[in-house]
Amino acid sequence: MATTGVQGRAVEGTGGGGEPFAWSMVLPLVRAGFMGFTGYFAAAWITAMIGHTVIVNPLPATVGYVVGLLAWLAGSGIWDGWIRRAFGGAEAPALTGVERYFRFSSDPKATAVRYVIFNVLAFFFAGLAAMAIRIELLTPDSTKWWLSEVHYNQTFGIHGLMMLLAVAASAIVGGMGYYLLPMMLGARTVIFPRLLGLSWWLLPPAAVAVFMSPLIGGFQTGWWGYPPLAQNSGSGIVFYTLGAATLLTSSLLGGINIIGTIVYMRAKGMSLGRIPMFLWGLFAAGTILIVEAPATFTGTLMDLSDMILGSHFYTGPTGHPLAYDDQFWWLFHPEVYVFVLPAFALWLEILPAAAQRPVFARNWGIAGILGITMIGAMVGVHHYFTAVSDERMPIFMTLTETISIPSGFVFLCALGTLWGGRLRLTSPALLCLMAMMNFLIGGLTGIFNADVPADLQLHNTYWVIGHFHYTILGSVIFSWLAGLYWWFPKVTGRLVNEFWAKFHAWWFFIFFNMTFLPMFILGIEGMNRRIAVYLPYLHPLNEFVSISSFFLGAGFLIPAANLFFSWRSGKKAPQNPWGSKSLEWHSPSPTPYIVFPEGSEVTVVGPNDNYAAGAPEPFVWAPTTAGK
Amino acid sequence: MSAKSENLMKAFWELVVVWVIGLVIAEWLVHVGIDHWPLIGSVQAQITADATTYLVWQAVAIYVLVGGTIVYSAFRFRARDNDNTPPTYQKRYWAPFVVFWLGMSIAINLANTIYPGMVGLEQLWAIQLNAKHPLVVDVTAQQWKWTFSYPKQGITDVSQLVVPVGRTVEFVLRTKDVMHDFWVPAWGIKKDVIPNEIRHLYITPTVLGSTKTNPMIRVQCSLICGNGHPMMRAPVQVLTKAAFKTWVSNNSF
Repeated sequence: MATTGVQGRAVEGTGGGGEPFAWSMVLPLVRAGFMGFTGYFAAAWITAMIGHTVIVNPLPATVGYVVGLLAWLAGSGIWDGWIRRAFGGAEAPALTGVERYFRFSSDPKATAVRYVIFNVLAFFFAGLAAMAIRIELLTPDSTKWWLSEVHYNQTFGIHGLMMLLAVAASAIVGGMGYYLLPMMLGARTVIFPRLLGLSWWLLPPAAVAVFMSPLIGGFQTGWWGYPPLAQNSGSGIVFYTLGAATLLTSSLLGGINIIGTIVYMRAKGMSLGRIPMFLWGLFAAGTILIVEAPATFTGTLMDLSDMILGSHFYTGPTGHPLAYDDQFWWLFHPEVYVFVLPAFALWLEILPAAAQRPVFARNWGIAGILGITMIGAMVGVHHYFTAVSDERMPIFMTLTETISIPSGFVFLCALGTLWGGRLRLTSPALLCLMAMMNFLIGGLTGIFNADVPADLQLHNTYWVIGHFHYTILGSVIFSWLAGLYWWFPKVTGRLVNEFWAKFHAWWFFIFFNMTFLPMFILGIEGMNRRIAVYLPYLHPLNEFVSISSFFLGAGFLIPAANLFFSWRSGKKAPQNPWGSKSLEWHSPSPTPYIVFPEGSEVTVVGPNDNYAAGAPEPFVWAPTTAGK
Repeated sequence: MSAKSENLMKAFWELVVVWVIGLVIAEWLVHVGIDHWPLIGSVQAQITADATTYLVWQAVAIYVLVGGTIVYSAFRFRARDNDNTPPTYQKRYWAPFVVFWLGMSIAINLANTIYPGMVGLEQLWAIQLNAKHPLVVDVTAQQWKWTFSYPKQGITDVSQLVVPVGRTVEFVLRTKDVMHDFWVPAWGIKKDVIPNEIRHLYITPTVLGSTKTNPMIRVQCSLICGNGHPMMRAPVQVLTKAAFKTWVSNNSF
């Protein structure tokens, strides 16, 4: 087995510290929050004093954010757990018990669990923003009794940015990926465990800043932050640019870990052809982030620089606003593959175990995932066909349409796996199939936006809103729930309530389609996006969409309650409840602090998806040869 | 642990029946939907609508074929949740299916790029290139209103857009502040208005009418531009050539 210093180190008791939870363990989290807020207000106030201005102005807000972020990190335990050693101090002992969930920790499992909690909270608040949006659109003009145009614009901007970067970007990659990455490879931890720990602590300040941005004036640009509107519509854009840059940096730290761990820490015998499908999805996401994220968060910071430092990258008489579009979509088109490729890979991880068949045409599936990764880097221009010169249209139309070929391979594999299988339609498998049905619609409606003649009409209409909600909410979030239910026994040692899981899956599927299918018609009928006020002829369909969306939104209380009560008092799970052949089920559930016991190492001797009767075990455990 | 076997050929013929029924129902619904297509008010809108409706036919067919297979498999190959008996069918690969899938997906892609993609673009560009004497309309966008000028007719700064039917109009798009987007939903295509740049959009209206008769005939800003974005509209009138002449003589200096 590949080892690192951390893996080789003896930790007393593989199950963790074993001390029961005490409220004092939450102290680092409280301390971080206190230091963060104090740091923010102190720095913003001092800057405002020096500059003879008020603290809601862009410059004080920027300085406040940076200082607040650093203070928050220092309070979280990064100082004693990591940095202090660099200054000659003693390193804090590795905490192995419950307390590691409430402070900076180098344990990827604790980090992943914190990701899930963060994603759920962000989904809840960004979901409330979605409900506020749909209440606004109940009537053609609700600005008198509900949100004003200003507040409406702020609301959809927050909803968009948070759902993308605080939920979709890390839901599957963070919550499931970072937990399973070492376990599926046969490693005991990731390659840069502290960097992975840091990646989580960057999230809460960024999310809080974006959610709180209306307090310093909000931002009117939606989640795009296009200049020059960004610079003349409220200081909240400061929190948008810094929040987006922080969240993307966090994703980048995760991406580095994914690639490094997969390349260097595979178990003996785990050749590229035997890496589990789910990890191929993560590998693709990590590649995209490393290649494309830096250019884009630099772009948002240049946007900020135009606002607070007086530069003219995108604004002023010499600025070139389209350069921002180029930089912005350079990552933010591939970013949707960061969301969805792990979801695709998750289907190909769950469906074989559920259908008791091997992944069909596995190499084509991997080729599909990697093909999307490559072509995806070259298609961002399709997000602004209406802004580019004519000569850029044919090449980006062709490249964008080509994406559907590798995407199709994923469906090829899934269909071939289901065909002739014996499918146990448990809630995770059911949610995977629903995600596939939704992604079909999301993918097929994307062809219209790739096709320039059709896109010139459908661009920036509700057609686009329908399209990307099908791919993100309809596929990524369905798959996220599938993964949460599937690996819930791994993390908690208990099963989720199957009845309520299936009940909500149907509820979600029905009201999701009732909410978003009519949006395609709204788009064709000429409803443009990002409008608080629309013309009365669009009213009946909007009313239908809004009412459906309220059912859709309220339904999420079911999985929230299901996950909570199953965690407290669910049925005890056997070690491998789904009959999966994957490596992560070889450790006890819930996972002990040290995943695989010391003194033994695993060798991969066969494919991990051979479900034939009497098939040999793909993993062999042998005592570690000492001194090697 | 014994395994169970299935007659997969029989299952395939059942799936074909599901496909045929699904295709008939779904494409009939598409037919009904396209009959209720909103107003197509220009040559360009016809090109756009042709592309869109063609892709709807195609997308619905693919949805039925692929989605139908998923739904059918979920019913046909279902086992009880606690049934651990694997199927005897454990094939990892069946070349005819993979090759067929690969060939079809490449063929559909190539076809789509040619039609409606490139064909539609060529048609749009041809109108632009062949417009000998277009009616030039200067469009100025600003937060949050549109103003229109007709330089050759000597009409400046009017707040409603009036154009004749059947003549190609060249819109010269400028913005005074942030990005906007010039869009008349009934006319099918839109163009962003970018600071520090001048953009041109060619439209040939084919249907008489005004914003009052059909709300699809309206100028609508289609790119978020701040608080007033939803209300950044302007009324449009498409007149006969004679009525347009009268309007010009009544409004020019």
